[in-house]
Amino acid sequence: MSILIRRSNLMVPVTNDRFAQGAWRHGADAITLDLEDGVTPALKAGARELAKDAVAVAGKGAAEVFVRVNKEFLVADIEASVWPGLAGIMLPKVESPEDVIEASEVLSSAERQRGIEPGTLSLILLLESANAVFRVREIIAASERVSQVGLDESDLSASLGISASAEYDPHVYARGRMAIEATAAGVQPIGIAHPMGTLPSLLPDEDMLKIATDSKNLGFKGIVCPHPSWIASVNTAFTPTEEQVDFYNQVRDVFAQAIAAGTAAVPFAGRMIDVPVDEWAKVVIATSTACRLRDAEKQSALEAASA
Amino acid sequence: MAEHTAVHRSGLTMPVVTPRFIDNAWRRGCDFINMDLEDSVPQNLKGYARTLIKDAIANVTKGGAEAFTRINHDLVLADLEGIVWPGLAKVNYPKAEYAEEIQTLDTIISRLERERGIRPGTVEIGANIETSVGVANAYDIAAASPRVREFGGAGGYDMSRDLGVEMFVGFDQFVYGKGEVELAARALGLEPHTAPFTANTTGSVGDPDRAFREAEAARKCGFRVGGGLHPNVVEPQTKGFTPTQEEVDEAHQILERYRELEVSGETWADIDGEIVDRYEAARARKLIDWSELCAQRDQEKAEAVARVERLGE
Repeated sequence: MSILIRRSNLMVPVTNDRFAQGAWRHGADAITLDLEDGVTPALKAGARELAKDAVAVAGKGAAEVFVRVNKEFLVADIEASVWPGLAGIMLPKVESPEDVIEASEVLSSAERQRGIEPGTLSLILLLESANAVFRVREIIAASERVSQVGLDESDLSASLGISASAEYDPHVYARGRMAIEATAAGVQPIGIAHPMGTLPSLLPDEDMLKIATDSKNLGFKGIVCPHPSWIASVNTAFTPTEEQVDFYNQVRDVFAQAIAAGTAAVPFAGRMIDVPVDEWAKVVIATSTACRLRDAEKQSALEAASA
Repeated sequence: MAEHTAVHRSGLTMPVVTPRFIDNAWRRGCDFINMDLEDSVPQNLKGYARTLIKDAIANVTKGGAEAFTRINHDLVLADLEGIVWPGLAKVNYPKAEYAEEIQTLDTIISRLERERGIRPGTVEIGANIETSVGVANAYDIAAASPRVREFGGAGGYDMSRDLGVEMFVGFDQFVYGKGEVELAARALGLEPHTAPFTANTTGSVGDPDRAFREAEAARKCGFRVGGGLHPNVVEPQTKGFTPTQEEVDEAHQILERYRELEVSGETWADIDGEIVDRYEAARARKLIDWSELCAQRDQEKAEAVARVERLGE
């Protein structure tokens, strides 16, 4: 079972030297260097020139490195970003399958020019409008490169005419639709439970852990983090807990005994254990292992780079 | 739009390979018994399990319950050949994802009905939505065969595994999927088989109080179909899905007032703070019809049980 572990994705403006240079130290599974909304128009051209070095630096801690491009400067931004060490592109404001196909074609030609194996650069899509949420199925299906899809809830709120408030959750449907359609297509949905998608701010770690855990339990596989302080909570929330791993190891034992006794339904801990529970147990255990391997990989890269 | 006269308030899903469950099923008071060939039956017993259904149909129905069978998603032909016999009311098909799957089931069932002397169109198909792909294709699946009369799902262990979520976390993780399947069912005039969210943080399948609260909440949200895994939940579900006498009396009063209103030529009235209009009248009529169907069903089951007892089983 090969499982993509991309729990936390730290977003930093490429033009903020301190953030861009320090991003690799925070333990994020991925780092996205922003050329888009985090960079003022006057700095766009200069930002592009920073991308190549920033990609190399951001990868020092074994994070996957992405660049968020400007939709209107797609070709220039991609050409500036596609260097060895880049995992892919975060494509914002996707409105149609054509947007995805276009980005994929630009990536293909950049891969050829830079000697990168064809098809290896990945796409993270951001949906930011009613139209995008409505067309999510065709959008996701437009390219094999799509590995994750998320909502930009702030921009979606603007598109829907919503003034964000922590009091109520305006995006229940959009979030649910994206989680279902992405999962159906074999792509990872990413996103965060209310209210952090519309009001990204700082929370005490335990609150952040709670909200990240809720996000996982909505079906999301990761969270774009606007601030490094989110990362530890997000990584923890998307990693099966020791209690869960213990519980599901017991489930597997109990279920195996039941099968030997001629039934695939057995009560355990007040629940009824049958095939799908055993199947889920396998997923939890495999995910735990994959997270541990990923964390070890990052840890050793971090130590090597710090030495 | 067809009238739904089926009464499926309570039912137990049980592995057909466990004789003590099957032999006692008729005593449970369920509206239906769902004999499982799928997730509660070990792989090495699949072939054997399907040979048990023909005789088990008579066994589980003798207390007046309808007999359903849940087949395996990947063993459709062999399972259907083994189970479609007179007395089988419904084939539950798990993890339905595409309309074509349902059409295939329909074709095979139609042939078996012909070959085995079953009135054409008798056997229902339960197209159970348990995956994201199923939710995404809900409408097409529900529309794929007239045998699909109740339609729903979008929660449970399979759905959770597909989405990669832990269950029993105390908030509504499946609100979108449930909404989609309910809308598809309603749009096609089918009976939706889903429920509003009621928190269950333990995962218990045998808590009678919770079962009652869940069933009552479901009924008040317009749902009629139940089912579970533990005998403890049968009676609470049956009760929770059945209108109370008080509600029935109130419905009769509303209809009475509405008849007076019609005579007077008014379209609505405010009677003791309650609005009476044609919507309320339609709701009251529906509640009374449902209550009568429930009473009829309870009567049938009581008579069936009495018959068995008279014959000394």
